[in-house]
Amino acid sequence: MSKKYLKKMAATLLVLGLAVTGCGNQAAAPSGSSSSQPEATGDAIKIGLPLPMTGSEATYGKDMENAIKMAVDEVNANGGVNGKKIATVTGDDACDPQQATAAANKLVSAGVVAIVGGYCSGAVVPTLTIYNEKNLPYVVEAANSSKIVAQNQGNTYLINGTAVHQTQKAVELFKKLGAKNVAIVEQGDAYSSDLAKQTESAWKEAGNTVISHDVTTKGEQDFSSLVTNLKSKNADLVFWTAYYADGALLIKQLRQGGYKGAIVVGDGSSDPKLVQMAGPAGEGTYVLSPPVAEFLPAAKQFADAYKAKFNQTPGAYAPLAYDGMKLMADALKRAGSTDGKAIIKALADTKDYAGLAGKVTFATDKTLKESNFIVLQIKGGKFVLQ
Amino acid sequence: MSVFYIVIQQIVNGLILGSFYSLVALGYSMVYGIIKLLNFAHGDIYMAGAFVGFGALGIFGSILGVGWAGITVALLISMILVGILGMLVHRLAYQPLLNKRAPRMSLLITAVGVSFTLFNGVMVLTNGEYKAFTTSLGYEGISIGPVNITYTQIVMVVATAVLMLCLYWFINRTMYGKAMRAIALDQDACRLMGINVTKTISLTFFVGSALAAAAGVMAGVYYGSIHFYMGFIIGLKAFTAAVIGGIGSIPGAMLGGLILGLLETAGTQLPFIGTAWKDVFTFGILILLLVLKPTGILGKSEIERM
Repeated sequence: MSKKYLKKMAATLLVLGLAVTGCGNQAAAPSGSSSSQPEATGDAIKIGLPLPMTGSEATYGKDMENAIKMAVDEVNANGGVNGKKIATVTGDDACDPQQATAAANKLVSAGVVAIVGGYCSGAVVPTLTIYNEKNLPYVVEAANSSKIVAQNQGNTYLINGTAVHQTQKAVELFKKLGAKNVAIVEQGDAYSSDLAKQTESAWKEAGNTVISHDVTTKGEQDFSSLVTNLKSKNADLVFWTAYYADGALLIKQLRQGGYKGAIVVGDGSSDPKLVQMAGPAGEGTYVLSPPVAEFLPAAKQFADAYKAKFNQTPGAYAPLAYDGMKLMADALKRAGSTDGKAIIKALADTKDYAGLAGKVTFATDKTLKESNFIVLQIKGGKFVLQ
Repeated sequence: MSVFYIVIQQIVNGLILGSFYSLVALGYSMVYGIIKLLNFAHGDIYMAGAFVGFGALGIFGSILGVGWAGITVALLISMILVGILGMLVHRLAYQPLLNKRAPRMSLLITAVGVSFTLFNGVMVLTNGEYKAFTTSLGYEGISIGPVNITYTQIVMVVATAVLMLCLYWFINRTMYGKAMRAIALDQDACRLMGINVTKTISLTFFVGSALAAAAGVMAGVYYGSIHFYMGFIIGLKAFTAAVIGGIGSIPGAMLGGLILGLLETAGTQLPFIGTAWKDVFTFGILILLLVLKPTGILGKSEIERM
């Protein structure tokens, strides 16, 4: 997640840089209102897509837009919604809070009835009130900061998992593996520490014990004394919450030290480099990961269609982007009108909506009731869905 | 696992960690001993050693395999090339300042500059990526009760001991070693006696850097991944080890490294407080040690000008 934060900073800097060097026009006036079904706009239901189309996150924005348009084409081919076709209007937020506000106002004045999209949390947060004032329902597809949950005005629903959902999945996995003596290892930074502490309290709440909670120093390569400690305490599951580089070292040294129990790592370590660096010691390691199309059985057809249409593999957030638009179309159908309040109510009533990335039902805080994190395992030198 | 076995295993862990510190600390101590310079670029020389070894293993691994034969060749190549790098650093960055009898502080800042140059250079060359140091070494070893010692660990410690013995012999039994010791005592007198001071200092840099390179390659092999920033923490720790042992003293650097490794390991074993306090414990003890014996364990007292 802090990776995403860095990307955001980079994007902000890039945008600033562009503005300073006089290319500001391009960044400040986004390609903006590009309607996808011009022949239908007269009598179509307009849905706004706030996405980063310029800047360093543009690849993700474009990828999500592609997936959303696939969903729209599908809905329209099947007769549209309530007798009308769906048309999309893209607003470029450039992953920048200020530009996101401008893009949001633009979408509102374009007369959209619902909002689908949102990649950068920093660009989503300032737009929440703008959409809420107009009673526009908003399905946030990729952004997952706890700030969005905290500042939600009531019209916003998140379909990507948050830290809470990762914790939930971790506890589920620990139970499945029959762990008794769980040991948690973190690195003291905000991200790994947060995940470690939340998991510890959730695991304890479920009536289990955490035998140790260790903090290691980033960049230190030697974990041997920690390994000896974990072995002497008879740990049967070690949960690493920080990033892959040091995680690979820990995995190696655990196996080298003769540790036989399970090893689980958080999504900061879900990187192919982990497999490469841990080598044979990595075999059998469990990895918590956000739902990636490559590993979702339900997304196979989607991935093939995406490849055929856009001549590239769908990115990390394409399945969620597709799900978000289909969910909005479903809510529109169930609401039977384009009235904001009715759609919001329909979204709230969503029950077990089957998307590519898993089932969608919303909890009271308007995030997923059930975690959409997936569990991968390293087998034969690559990640395999568990 | 009984307490006895835990203690034994932790001592083994501490000795292995400490032997890496010792090898790097030797370079600090030798350079300080001869020209009174704290060579802060030394940790980055260690890092450069790891990367040169990584490259050499990539080239020779295809012929010799990535087992012990390939690693030994990579180790020797890295020691020679990085030794030469050390000499270059001395000739280009330090010797011009020494010739002009520049203040010691200028030398120190130059060393910091060399450190930044080296690690940023490697960062650009490697895109800041972690490189997996792949070898075919397994986890086989000997077990005494629940205590595990892998063959790799044994070889690491033995190799360190052999390198240190060679160094000891070189310093105390050869003409070059005698010249180094003489220069440490009085440079001007050495010049009058016809000793080539600059060349001998260069040689000191070669030997110190080669030892750091050996440590870098061994760390790469042992831990399995290398990174442009890997020299930073170990550089600081080895410097600490050199000071604890008494900077300028060769046996002191060896001893200091082992003590630091053992202390750090002991730090993770403290009851009641978590492992996050490890460094606080270790460095607390070290401060205490220096308060009691400011020159380090085997250091001689002399008047410092810095």
